[in-house]
Amino acid sequence: MLVARRRRKSRMEESKKKKFIVRFEPSGLKVEVPSGTILLDAARKAGIYLSSICGGDGYCGKCKVIIDEGQFQSRPTSLLTPDETRQNIVLACQTKVLSDLTITVPRSHTLETSQILMDTDAHRFSELTGEPEAGVFEFDPLVQKICIEMSAPTVHDHTADHERLYVAIREQIDAPIMQTGFRILQNLSRVLIEEDYKVAVTVGRRGGTTEVIEVEPTKRGKTNFAAAVDLGTTTVVAHLINLTNGTTIDTEATYNSQINFGEDYIRRIIYAEENNAFDEMQNRIVNDVNSLVATLAARRKIDLQDITTIICAGNTAMVHFLLNLDPTRIRREPYTALASFVPPIRAAEAGIQINKRGLLYCLPSVAAYVGSDIVAGVLTTRIYTKKGISLFIDIGTNGEVVLGNRDWMVCASSSAGPAFEGSGVKDGMRAGAGAIEKLTILNDGSIELRTIGNTRPVGICGSGLLDTLAELFVNGIIDRTGRFKTNGEPRLTEGDEGRQFQLVPPGNNHQEIVITQPDIDNLVRSKAGVFAAIRVLMESTQTKLEDLDAIYLAGGFGNFLNIRQAVTIGMLPDVPLEKIQFVGNTSIAGAKTVLLSQKALKAAEKIAKSMTYFDLMSHIGYMDEFIRASFLPHTDLSLFPSVTESVKR
Amino acid sequence: MALTGLEIFKLLPKTNCKKCGMPTCLAFAMALAQKRAKLDDCPDVSEEAKEKLSAAAAPPMQKVVFGKADNQVQLGQETVMFRHEEKFYNPTVLAVTVSDKLTSEDLKKRIESINALQFERVGTKIGVKAIAVINDSGSSDSFTQTCAAVKDGSDLALILVAESPEAIAAAVGQVKEGTPLLVSAKPDTAEAMAKIAKENGCPLAARAESIESLADLTEQIKSEGVEDIVLSLDGLSSRDKLYNLSRVRALALKKIFRPLGYPTISFVTDGDVNTQAAMAISLICKYSGIVVVDTVEPYALLPMLTAVMNVFTDPQKPVQVEPKVYPIGEPDENAPLMFTTNFSLTYYTVESDVEASRVPSYILVVDTEGTSVLTAYSGDKLNEKTVADAMTKHSVENLVKHRKIIIPGYVAVMSGKLEEATNWDVMVGPRECSMLPKYLQEVWK
Repeated sequence: MLVARRRRKSRMEESKKKKFIVRFEPSGLKVEVPSGTILLDAARKAGIYLSSICGGDGYCGKCKVIIDEGQFQSRPTSLLTPDETRQNIVLACQTKVLSDLTITVPRSHTLETSQILMDTDAHRFSELTGEPEAGVFEFDPLVQKICIEMSAPTVHDHTADHERLYVAIREQIDAPIMQTGFRILQNLSRVLIEEDYKVAVTVGRRGGTTEVIEVEPTKRGKTNFAAAVDLGTTTVVAHLINLTNGTTIDTEATYNSQINFGEDYIRRIIYAEENNAFDEMQNRIVNDVNSLVATLAARRKIDLQDITTIICAGNTAMVHFLLNLDPTRIRREPYTALASFVPPIRAAEAGIQINKRGLLYCLPSVAAYVGSDIVAGVLTTRIYTKKGISLFIDIGTNGEVVLGNRDWMVCASSSAGPAFEGSGVKDGMRAGAGAIEKLTILNDGSIELRTIGNTRPVGICGSGLLDTLAELFVNGIIDRTGRFKTNGEPRLTEGDEGRQFQLVPPGNNHQEIVITQPDIDNLVRSKAGVFAAIRVLMESTQTKLEDLDAIYLAGGFGNFLNIRQAVTIGMLPDVPLEKIQFVGNTSIAGAKTVLLSQKALKAAEKIAKSMTYFDLMSHIGYMDEFIRASFLPHTDLSLFPSVTESVKR
Repeated sequence: MALTGLEIFKLLPKTNCKKCGMPTCLAFAMALAQKRAKLDDCPDVSEEAKEKLSAAAAPPMQKVVFGKADNQVQLGQETVMFRHEEKFYNPTVLAVTVSDKLTSEDLKKRIESINALQFERVGTKIGVKAIAVINDSGSSDSFTQTCAAVKDGSDLALILVAESPEAIAAAVGQVKEGTPLLVSAKPDTAEAMAKIAKENGCPLAARAESIESLADLTEQIKSEGVEDIVLSLDGLSSRDKLYNLSRVRALALKKIFRPLGYPTISFVTDGDVNTQAAMAISLICKYSGIVVVDTVEPYALLPMLTAVMNVFTDPQKPVQVEPKVYPIGEPDENAPLMFTTNFSLTYYTVESDVEASRVPSYILVVDTEGTSVLTAYSGDKLNEKTVADAMTKHSVENLVKHRKIIIPGYVAVMSGKLEEATNWDVMVGPRECSMLPKYLQEVWK
């Protein structure tokens, strides 16, 4: 045995030196790789992006390609049918290159990352924003242009130009400590003389210091723009804002192009760590931000030089990726970030293309798993000012939860997983055209559904999955443990992954859409994670159900989320429905609030500092709560009186 | 009831200054409530708050320690009525009687048979922790001699049980280095007994027939300068005894009634072996800090000790299975080998699905400190190195002829590195273990 293994090893080493050409059809792109290279990596190297939600783990089954010619070796997988295997269909992430290969990439699986995805979902997501409440914070942007008229120096008033400028600025704004960029200083007198000492000065706040960023002719005094960005794990959203009056001019969104390296940020950290790909990660997110900003500027015919500020909110890992700060300790005990309060830096230093001296602000975060997007959410919903207790839930790839009032706030992050974003579910998809977003099982057993764009159904998105789970439960097709019952339901069939329920039968131009037993297990786990986090926070603070004044639900579900159904499956606490409010993308709303007022920045910093973080991974009660919540709606039915009542009926 | 985190928080400065070493004042308050932090760690706490907090911070049930240094036993300090509310701290101490009427040979035998009452149960050593010498003879001399003999013949902690202060005083002189528990003070002997206890630095049991007189008695003993007190309720029926022990616990913990804020001792010396076992277990469940029995039958002691072990398990620790290879069915050298983590919920789910497959298999359990597959992977506790180490440690190469290992579908990403680290072929199993039967039957071959 030992001999055989040694021989095998030496053979492997020998063949490793060999290089093979892999050709991808229909694009015809070619790449040379060493023998044994994983096909998915070869595709990445060739610049072909295969849809791979699991980041190459071999469980999403999305990276199917057809091998037309050549030698390869694939690991056995249950994600391919025997038919597919006969047709030489393989999972690219489970296949090694052993000779020159020709591969056909099915059209449906490719994703062009350079292009901004302007599908319904991204747009809808970008539009779902609560505008900052007017008048809450005084209008006092972090970066502003002020118009200054000074008298020129005379023999009696020979104060130098620079100090003259400071005096004039201080007449208009409170700026005890000031500094000026060296290049601005070098050109200062020339500009002042040319403009007859009437100039527009761009000043930005960096902590307690006020920096002179630009000195320009007065006619440019009304052109000052900023971008606010929500760095989501899945979606990146940008808003273009006119800083002279605080209005939002335009919005745009794109998918986070890091997604090829893993659907959640922990996987991306692992990928970056193992492949030393931190620069690549930064490039991807910075490019996403740059193309969003460039698109907005082009559409509104704004010079990038007139965008003087960019402000970002996002989970802690995304902020680390953006700035290329080491994120690796986020995933290891004791789970710490490099920085929770990132000082403002010059945007250009991070590679962000706006005014070359423009500033990049990141909202402060609470902990490794509760990021500045959540601080922004608290700021927007104003939980921290209210006497009564509120619950804030942001359901994205992670489910973050905040509970509290003006006296105290506690928060936690549950690794809800992206099931409700359509990932890891057989026919799941993001909320794009053709996604089932609403679904009802009628009394006669037939299914009524609505798709985004009213097109033929392609898959199911988050709100549709939530509906499906609730409807299957309420109609007795699955039991409280989420198992399909055996009651001769005609739509219940046996599929590759065990039992499955047909939602849409196969049609002329579309495949059937099903929900499988593992899908249901996955969704139940996701909702259980969120609810368990809520319970831990409520238990730790002795908050009773009736103490909850309001529940704010933020995140990518869209307005089509059926709140009643979210209670039915036991994801949200069973409170009167009028207490539950969908608040949309509060991450970007909070970022904009801060952008427009220094007082809001102070408030955000105070929020981040005062929130008490509960680490659920080390929390003793979390696992128990999780197991209790892994039922529909819960093991403890007394927590869900209204659901118990409606299911009985 | 002790103050909650939020109640303590209201008394703190709320500056979130982090000087205490915690990120927020609320985090510090919650740590205080769980007794994981000291109030002194907050440099800015007001005098008023200090006063309120220290009153609340004193443990509702006194800690009492007795026995020789190496074999010290600890009682009390409990904070909750029910284990799931937090946890129980100090397991019930089981003690066995030795009468001072026994002659030298019988005495020696009895001590030996008590010493032998030590067992190992699921990897943990459990056993009798104390010997109660009973002054049945009424004579101070034989009591003293018996105590000395027990001290020489056993390392177990000593409990001296006598009515008369003279007998206790005489015996304690011989064995005081072992810090015995003195039993007991009654209203008429309280003053004398307290004096002996104080002089010798021993804890003292107060004995009365009602809760009310017990409370009066502890106040009196305390005023004599003895802090370490154990409560003994005497002369009650089994039913009344259990009822009253529960009341004592509730008054101490819920009402913070200090005169009853002590651990308890119960004697189960009447009746046959079975009756003793039954009553002892009832008392273990309902709040006896020490249970003294007469029987030395191992078959009666083991269930009592098992009950103690179960009642005092910490529910907050993740339940883990032992990291090793588990054969399911009767696997041979061609059987599939797969691994999972040592979080018990994970393991038992995998185990039941492997059983359901009816394919005899080996499951290698990797030590991930009781975390599930994805948590362990995300936190770097499950990686190619920990798996390879477990494979080597548990010599899986001797169990199977093939060189294939099935890994959980969720950590498929580590397959390449695991192949490199072990030279084994890695097969990616399903994500959900409910799919394992199908996988083992169809894909594994």
